[in-house]
Amino acid sequence: MSAPRPTELAQLAGAGLEVTESPPGSGLPDGLALARPRSEEEVSVLMRLATQHGWAVTVRGQGTKSAWGPDVERCDLVLDTTGLNQLVEHEPGDLICVAGAGMRLSELQELTSRAHGYRQRLMLDPPGSDAATLGGLVATRAAGPLRTRYGTMRDLLLGARFVLADGTIAKTGGKVVKNVAGYDLDKLLVGSLGTLAVVVEVALRLHPQAEARESVLLEGVDSATAAKFLIALRAAPAVPSVAEALWPEGAVLVQIDGTRDGAIRQAELVAELDPRARVLDLAEASYWEEVLRNRPWDRPGVVLGVSVPLSATRAVLDLVADTAIQEHAVALSLRGTIGCGELRVAASSDKVEGVRREVERLGGQVEVHRAEPELRGLGSRPRDPLAGELMAAVKQALDPGHILAPGRLEGLYQTAASPIAGAAGG
Amino acid sequence: MAVTSLALRRQRLTFAIGAVRQNLARGPVALPQPLAYDARMASPAATPDRALDTLCSELREIVGPSWALTGADDLRTYECDGLTGWRQPPLAVALPASTEEVARVVRLCHRLHVPFVPRGSGTGLSGGALPSADGIVIGLSRMRSILQIDLENERVVVQPGVLNLEVTRAVQAEGYFYAPDPSSQRVCTIGGNVAENSGGAHCLKYGFTTNHVLAATLVLSDGRIAHLGSACLDAPGLDLLGVLIGSEGTLGIVTEVTLRLLPQPEWVETLLAAFPSTDTAGEAVAAIVAHGVVPAAMEMMDRATIQAVESTMHAGYPDCGAALLVELDGPAADCRSLFQAVEELCRAAGATEVRVARDEAERALLWKGRRGAFSAMGRVSPDYYVQDGVVPRSRLAGVLAGIRELEQRHQLRVANVFHAGDGNLHPLILYDRKEAGGAERARELAEDILGLCLEAGGSLTGEHGVGRDKMCQMPRLFSVADQEVMDRVRSAFDPHRLANPGKVLPTPRLCGEHPGIYRPHPAELAGLAERM
Repeated sequence: MSAPRPTELAQLAGAGLEVTESPPGSGLPDGLALARPRSEEEVSVLMRLATQHGWAVTVRGQGTKSAWGPDVERCDLVLDTTGLNQLVEHEPGDLICVAGAGMRLSELQELTSRAHGYRQRLMLDPPGSDAATLGGLVATRAAGPLRTRYGTMRDLLLGARFVLADGTIAKTGGKVVKNVAGYDLDKLLVGSLGTLAVVVEVALRLHPQAEARESVLLEGVDSATAAKFLIALRAAPAVPSVAEALWPEGAVLVQIDGTRDGAIRQAELVAELDPRARVLDLAEASYWEEVLRNRPWDRPGVVLGVSVPLSATRAVLDLVADTAIQEHAVALSLRGTIGCGELRVAASSDKVEGVRREVERLGGQVEVHRAEPELRGLGSRPRDPLAGELMAAVKQALDPGHILAPGRLEGLYQTAASPIAGAAGG
Repeated sequence: MAVTSLALRRQRLTFAIGAVRQNLARGPVALPQPLAYDARMASPAATPDRALDTLCSELREIVGPSWALTGADDLRTYECDGLTGWRQPPLAVALPASTEEVARVVRLCHRLHVPFVPRGSGTGLSGGALPSADGIVIGLSRMRSILQIDLENERVVVQPGVLNLEVTRAVQAEGYFYAPDPSSQRVCTIGGNVAENSGGAHCLKYGFTTNHVLAATLVLSDGRIAHLGSACLDAPGLDLLGVLIGSEGTLGIVTEVTLRLLPQPEWVETLLAAFPSTDTAGEAVAAIVAHGVVPAAMEMMDRATIQAVESTMHAGYPDCGAALLVELDGPAADCRSLFQAVEELCRAAGATEVRVARDEAERALLWKGRRGAFSAMGRVSPDYYVQDGVVPRSRLAGVLAGIRELEQRHQLRVANVFHAGDGNLHPLILYDRKEAGGAERARELAEDILGLCLEAGGSLTGEHGVGRDKMCQMPRLFSVADQEVMDRVRSAFDPHRLANPGKVLPTPRLCGEHPGIYRPHPAELAGLAERM
């Protein structure tokens, strides 16, 4: 069960598999074997070996989200997916593409927006994640402001190929938008943090890029005004791509994509919702775009995903405003018409637990998106312990040896008070 | 962790895979036979008759005598769903009125090892609600209350027997709607929609049931009650709700559902364009997509469908080779110019006529033909079978040409009506079951059409589900390993295989003799024999 030396692993896996030591600066322990398979067959061979030897495997893309979710209990080798980075298919007429899970988001955007005669892309914009891999975005369900209109990977993933802990190669879904054949295991993979399977290939739904974008800003307002504006926006004759409440600025930024005339007309209608709101010119729009693209990842601190019922929007903004007075660390980017976003707080368990308690009191929940290892397990748990038990059963069914990111999934559903029997495996 | 237990587990797994391989060698299909399925019969404690008596009397106790049906006439009502070709009366039908009653009925089933089949309105088209001969049906039609309407949070909580259209009706005066709109929306239930992950004509833009459910109460096959999801987005942990939706009643029974509502679009406009052929109409579809438009709906009907619709319901469709119905919705500011563009693209692709609905009544008339296409077909042909396949949109023309060839080969007519935007085809195969071999030929043709869809990179089913009807076709799309993974997930929810057994995932008992896909015989591979 002891961790394999890189040379040992290379020898066992056979010719071809690239195995190195974890590079310095990667945040990984020194001397850890890092395997970089280039095909699903190589992934399968590697996982079979890991199962045979009981090696704990951490799946890793570019490592941009390695501080997301509960820390693993042990790691004997790292499976680096960046060698699985081919574009398998891009069919612009079908608005779909199929690519290796190790491909970077930025690379996919580049490839799909270039196809002749079409302007289309994957409508996902998790802040600071251009380098992130598609597989990593599946594992974390990371999203950004565009979620308001286009959803998350849950809404964009059409199918996947994956390898189970025992080396089984399987697929789910397909490459068509409409498909109800078999169980929708795509959904199970999205947000599973690499605990159920190694995703090796993904089929994704693309969307056409609009002709024009206009931005509207409401700035320097209190939580009551912002919340009222967001309620009015939900009923307004406009379909925003982005409707982000940004704190501590006390701002709401709305972005509208559409035809040239349509975007400007909608922006004007949105600006009429509050006398302080105004349509931005190009320079201002790009300044705020920059804020949007980094918030709240741009400074140190714990980043929490928060989701709340829409009726609690103002309460969440108040929570941030109150804390922000005493603390510089606090920043929020809230998708104000759908009730979710990301909040940065100081790296202390008191602060994180305080926010979680408050958000849960509002009927919402908290996920840890970036934190030191000891804080990563502080997110909300399922309210029903039986839901946690079912999660344990699914984990047990797909990874009975508990070798994929052991401890991480358990950290998502187990509570200290009521550990779930059988969750730790045999 | 003990190393031996891991080794044992692996051994068992290897054994299971071995069994699957053996089954494959015998026939095309797949998973090991569920163990608990026949356990009732094997129980030495009770003869089947006595077990049935116990079952029926306890059912009466739980739901009340008038809601436990055991008479032959009553049972016949439940012997099939919308796919009437498959029929099997159940042992009994229970019609519980609450989550607690459902849980008690299921606990009883669990104790007696009796499989159960959940059922809403029974409008499914894949035999998903087909009873098991040794099981009961649990009908959710009495659980039809809207429990909570929470417009501030854009959500409603409903019982599973609430009809799809009732949800929209309950909130439309306040400016909201529930997006999934399967064409059976007047009669189908939300519970059934959750089981099938129903879409509808507008799902290209608005998504499917899975995109509109926040939470659900699930009665597991041992009678425990689980709450999945959350009242807001991003419920903690694994997305079990995502697997539950579309699992066709095989993971348990949903007894309460929290749905998301959407504000009504400001503006809706609908046009019907007439084309000389489905190919030219297909060119218009491609051009609309290339233009970057995502219509709320885009439906195509071929000549045979148009003629049937006209002769029976007089929707006023033009006489043409293909009609394309396009609906755009959203902010007026954006849609007006896009709608103009769509009109022009249709004309450029060869539309001979473009009709724009001037008001709600005209829009309803344009949709009338589309929504009534299936029933119109029932009046022009003694029998018809609706296929439900999916092709990548860009391969539509080729697949439609393939269907025309198949019509010739099988000497049967096929009328095509489909969701052109998402490539979901509904070929209606017209036949007469009184003709010798008619039904069999129709079935072969339907399977050949699926073959075309799969060759083009599509899917077995876009919205009707696998159910019983396509269960034995699953190996055409999913490998043994793919199915085994699904089965493992199923076991996590329902280890005893009591929830709607014999659906979705093939079993050798039910599919063993099915011809399925061609696999070379070992003798062929060895060069000892060949097929003509």
